Amino acid sequence: MPQVQNAPAIPGFQSGKKAVVVFFETDCPTCQLALPYLNSLTQDSVQVIGLSQDDERSTRDFVSQLKISYPVELDSGLKISRAYDPHNVPTFYLLDESGQVEKTLVGFDKQGLNELAAAVGHTPIALPDDGAPAWKPGCSSRHLEPEAQGSTQESGAKLLRRIGDPASRITLRDEEDPFEYCRKQFGDALPVVPPTVEKVEAMVKATGLAPETVIARVPPFYGEATVEKIAANAVMAGCVPEMMRVLLPLLRAACDERFNIHGVQATTHFAAPLVMINGPVRQELGFWSKQNVFSNVARANSSLGRAFQLILLNIGGGRPDGIDMSALGNPGKFSFCIAENEEENPWEPFHVTRGLNRGQSAVSLFAAEPPRGVSEHTAPAGKTVLETISFALATVWSYRTCLMPEAIVVLCPEHVKTIHRDGFTKEQVRQYLFENTGIPVRYYSKEERAEGTQFAANYKEITVRGEKCYQKFRSPESISIFVAGGTAGKFSAVVGSWSTGPAGSQMVTYPIPDK
Amino acid sequence: MVVIVHPGNESVPKAATPPARLASLKGKKIGLLDISKPGGSFFLDRLEEILRTKYGAAEVLRTKKPTFSKNAPQQIIEQLRAMDAVVEGLAD
Repeated sequence: MPQVQNAPAIPGFQSGKKAVVVFFETDCPTCQLALPYLNSLTQDSVQVIGLSQDDERSTRDFVSQLKISYPVELDSGLKISRAYDPHNVPTFYLLDESGQVEKTLVGFDKQGLNELAAAVGHTPIALPDDGAPAWKPGCSSRHLEPEAQGSTQESGAKLLRRIGDPASRITLRDEEDPFEYCRKQFGDALPVVPPTVEKVEAMVKATGLAPETVIARVPPFYGEATVEKIAANAVMAGCVPEMMRVLLPLLRAACDERFNIHGVQATTHFAAPLVMINGPVRQELGFWSKQNVFSNVARANSSLGRAFQLILLNIGGGRPDGIDMSALGNPGKFSFCIAENEEENPWEPFHVTRGLNRGQSAVSLFAAEPPRGVSEHTAPAGKTVLETISFALATVWSYRTCLMPEAIVVLCPEHVKTIHRDGFTKEQVRQYLFENTGIPVRYYSKEERAEGTQFAANYKEITVRGEKCYQKFRSPESISIFVAGGTAGKFSAVVGSWSTGPAGSQMVTYPIPDK
Repeated sequence: MVVIVHPGNESVPKAATPPARLASLKGKKIGLLDISKPGGSFFLDRLEEILRTKYGAAEVLRTKKPTFSKNAPQQIIEQLRAMDAVVEGLAD
């Protein structure tokens, strides 16, 4: 790292101890995300100094709202910024004991932050599954802007703070029916349990967190989901206090940028988040994975799914008669929550395929169309069952659209038995479906301009059952296998996707903390 | 007396004052934002041509979101902030 020549002294820096110095702007969302992470670095091993490129008022606001616990100084006139010349903010410099730059980190980068921590002998400070993305680019440094001036942010603006405001209390008039009031103001077209102060406090208590703790910001309005407000929606949905253990990581997962809940809520497509539960939490909280798994059978499934949707509605602002303009909607917008029937699954459970240990409870999210059913009662061979399923897979999104779609195949126990008995591993099932789901090329005609045909030049040609076809899916990883349902009836389901990948929504799996 | 906890988003959106309309486009810097829906570029190509030839814009900056399904990245917003006016090509 180059030695910064003749740099003005960094206010507060003492030689003889390593220092992490971070340049930031108060109105840069990546800076708001990143700077609180340095609170974890204890002051014994290292000095931490924030250098604000903005004015005193904005900086004071920033420090107080984000609860920055280390010294923050103003880089008046941007003299220090010009000397160190970071092109972007936030830029972190690790200085050795004599003030020489040892290491530089640009932007928000969890791995980079942990390497910085390790370099000063500290344990990791940026953990996965806290809802923040692994990486996020920052903004241009103020000293490189055409007119380097102070912050343009209005004072009092709500930054990405960790502690929000207390929720208001609403006192209902004596003649007001609380059920009617809450249904009208905060309901999902059906009555909700009024979130009285006592019920909400019991729900908050179960988390062990302060009620104003901000867990996530919910698109499209980016309302702050504080523990207290999450609890109020959980009460309305009919959750028990123990369910907060699942609802909090579920919210973080939903607001994870990879899942892109903003797009899911704003689309005209059918998509609604499908909540999938794995691990010991299923028995601990009564999640249901057997017959009628997609229906109204268990309080755990239905109340968790409903609480989540009420939060999207009340805190996120995604009203189905307003900004959520899905053309036909999705029955799952009441509640869309299933658990895996791991006991009937001869292969590894879904969350293990996603990278977690079997004993770790998990919640996964997928932006999903409603399920499409597949009946296959007569074929004795597992291969034929899979072939029947492949015809349903071919219709995901739109028949002729290839590459973009993904799908979850929900296999019922009877189909699983047949397929497993014939020697298929889970990977082999995915591979088989991947290789045999194809759309015959003869269905593509340029003149008709049907959806999917415009991208045919990008599709891969394969042969399926002796016929030239375009391969439906990008890879076997586009097809997930989830075992659920009752033991009677040879019906499985294909759950199709919304737009996928970095341009759409990516499936996320978050651990659920142990009891 | 029933007292409930407000379960919704209580932040009051602050009404922003729109900047004053430009009296003329001549000599101005105009930003065009393509949201990456199919066909957007045809419309914006023609608009760029008209802004330059008919209205004498000094600069027409073309920007494009990586995907229509997410907010514009900060870098694009910063580029557009430096313009006198912005046209966003929305919808299909």
